[in-house]
Amino acid sequence: MSFRVMIINGPNLNLLGEREPEIYGATTLAQIEAACRSQGGEIGAEIAFHQSNYEGQIIDWIHAARKEADAIIINPAGLTFTSIPILDALKMFKGPIIELHISNIHKREEIYHRSLVSKVATAVIAGLGPKGYGVALGAIAGILNPA
Amino acid sequence: MSRLVYVLNGPNLNLLGKRQPEIYGAETLADVEADCRKQAAALSLDIRFHQSNREYEIIDWIHEARETAGGIVINPAAFTHTSVAILDALHTCEFPIIEVHISNVHKREPFRHHSYVSSVASGVIAGFGTQGYTLALQRLAKLIDEKKA
Repeated sequence: MSFRVMIINGPNLNLLGEREPEIYGATTLAQIEAACRSQGGEIGAEIAFHQSNYEGQIIDWIHAARKEADAIIINPAGLTFTSIPILDALKMFKGPIIELHISNIHKREEIYHRSLVSKVATAVIAGLGPKGYGVALGAIAGILNPA
Repeated sequence: MSRLVYVLNGPNLNLLGKRQPEIYGAETLADVEADCRKQAAALSLDIRFHQSNREYEIIDWIHEARETAGGIVINPAAFTHTSVAILDALHTCEFPIIEVHISNVHKREPFRHHSYVSSVASGVIAGFGTQGYTLALQRLAKLIDEKKA
């Protein structure tokens, strides 16, 4: 059965590949999107892929996902640790939510340890690099279509 | 190194001069901009002067600055104490960053004592009123000159 996944990326992820590559790697967000779309084709997932630096825009996409998506993969980036409005928006989403971080945030400075989004996430992936997106998509397929 | 400097101002600074003048003084942000332009000319710096109440707009300007500028003077106002996203954006910049606060934030309420931005700033100025901006520009010019030398 095919399903729809909305993948949402937060602030500064537009600079992926250029931004502190020692932490975030050399892969760009466009390459991640291409990999997600190709994997989506293989597993029957329709992918909507977004990035914004704008908290309000991310909230609007989460609202849209309530009608347009069966699952959400969200990398809220810096907003992970500060945004109660994003937490509130995710609370209204009924399907599975995978929270994703490219780096292992728990290994880093303390400001990156306390995620607000984890309180509503079905599962959390941190530290798998860009491959985390593919793992999240595979996990969603398993959650929505249990064998 | 570029002699272009971004001067970025966060939320509520558009109300400078009208907003609690006992804390922030009577000078408006337009006055501050005029002071900065005069100081920049004296230091042979070009400046882009911006203010926004929107976090993402400040992030977008930082992204723009990282491509073209030699430094940033930033008064993140209340975002100082809350925005990991602005900190992350500043982390992508390789030039000096000076953090400015008009009031002495450390004299005020405890929630204003912690700054995310300070962890990436070359220097911090707090409590010099609007003069803090011209002091920050002087420092930045020196840092840019030193990098050149």
